[in-house]
Amino acid sequence: MLCERCKIREANIQYTEVVSGVKKEHHFCAQCAKEMDFGVYAAIFDGEFPIGKLLSGLLGIEDDNQGPDKLHQIACPTCGTTYDAFVRDSRFGCSDCYSVFGPLMEDSIKQLQGSLLHTGKSPVNQNIESLSESAAKTRGKSIKDETSEEEKELSELDSRLKEALRFEDYETAAVCRDRIKEIRKGNETNA
Amino acid sequence: MHRWFEQTPAGRPGIISSRIRLARNLQEYSFPAKLDEKESGEMVHRLEFGLRDIGNFAEKNFEFSLLNEMEELDRAALKERRVLNSAALLKKNPSGILLSKEEDMGIVLNCDDHIRIQLLGAGLCLDELWDKADKIDDCINERFPYAFDDRFGYLTSFPTNVGTGLRASVVVHLPMLSQGRKFSSLIGDMSRFGASVRGVYGDVEENFGSLYEISNLKTLGQTEREIIDTVTKAAIQLTNQEMQVRKLSLQRRRIEREDEVYKSFGVLKYARRLTFRDAMIFLSQLMAALSDGLVLAKNEVSVYRLMLGIQPAVLQKISDRPLSKEDLDIARAEFIRKELPELK
Repeated sequence: MLCERCKIREANIQYTEVVSGVKKEHHFCAQCAKEMDFGVYAAIFDGEFPIGKLLSGLLGIEDDNQGPDKLHQIACPTCGTTYDAFVRDSRFGCSDCYSVFGPLMEDSIKQLQGSLLHTGKSPVNQNIESLSESAAKTRGKSIKDETSEEEKELSELDSRLKEALRFEDYETAAVCRDRIKEIRKGNETNA
Repeated sequence: MHRWFEQTPAGRPGIISSRIRLARNLQEYSFPAKLDEKESGEMVHRLEFGLRDIGNFAEKNFEFSLLNEMEELDRAALKERRVLNSAALLKKNPSGILLSKEEDMGIVLNCDDHIRIQLLGAGLCLDELWDKADKIDDCINERFPYAFDDRFGYLTSFPTNVGTGLRASVVVHLPMLSQGRKFSSLIGDMSRFGASVRGVYGDVEENFGSLYEISNLKTLGQTEREIIDTVTKAAIQLTNQEMQVRKLSLQRRRIEREDEVYKSFGVLKYARRLTFRDAMIFLSQLMAALSDGLVLAKNEVSVYRLMLGIQPAVLQKISDRPLSKEDLDIARAEFIRKELPELK
């Protein structure tokens, strides 16, 4: 039998997973099995997120084929969650992560949830904005409060970073990210 | 004061309890995993202060505790009684819980998400629980703006909760159906239908007590009512099938079943040591026999309460000293002897 992942090498590892009591058998070759790290699957039953860790499986495999170097450089400008950490933990760090990593994983979310559009209830007495608008608003506020040059530059870099990510221009994104880091670091030492 | 699981179950046989959980996050903070100790403390304090009078709206008396200052054993016992999840046990930074006396309503602050609203009830009551959760949710939201996106809905730490943030679940008792050969394909059908089924106690190879939790697989793209409807239908479907198998067993193998339950009852009544596994299996047989009218109890009783009562941390809590594994088995048998109903 051929490995079901690479479909090239002979499968010599049999992997049985039981999801919700349903047993499934997989056959992989040693090389694919090594690359896949079954540890994440073992964690599926932890807690009340039966399929939470599955994401790292889905994304982790994908990034092998999609030039991992570029993706590894992405980080959320608000909370600092990196793409690696995001894939490892299958966990967003803040609401802005949804606009940073969201476009990269729409397919995975769709696979997981079967949909990409919320149809349930909405918050009360709350102006609902799309993520980018609310991010712009927060930035606007911080400029008003601080009015420092650095803050202004940070917010510009932030929007440039997001723009770059949207167009998958990872080189520019990396430059923006490094500059943001630099400024933040400077702020910390000043304070 | 009776806790929710101490009430005698009414209504549909085989349906033990219902649960609604809503995950919410505040707009102005990063998600809990990214908050440091100071930020966590500040947010928990603000939420506690802002939600002080939330009990008036829910018609409940809430008590606030800091989870990170609570004894490990108390937290473990709350987890066994299904108030907390495992994430709440591991949390080191400030986190809190507003909990009703009956333990049927809880608002957990700063664990996986900033706010986790949970309502529990005996029997099948997802609709009522949702109505209450919806009100509490709005009430909190009037004071604290939520992280929300018009496309992704309520934003949560895990992509598995995004959208409605709603997990609706029902615990059902399926002692006979789960032994059948078709059970795994039945569970497969349920997942195509949007409901996941998993054993509550035991491990992959063996389930102790035949309790299964049915919950929605997806949280995005369906309305709250649709989610509740899916889970309710799955619960009714599975328990109906269970009841059919049980009816058949009463017609064909009545004496075997009587023999089995009286033997189990004898062990529960007289044993001096009981492992968790054995106790769950025997209690499960008693639960089925009581529901089928195969045996009758002198006074009404919730077998589920006994099942919750024999969990390790809950038992440890009753005892005044730390118990070894052997001591635990002794304490378990003692608890069951004391609490077991008399049969007619």
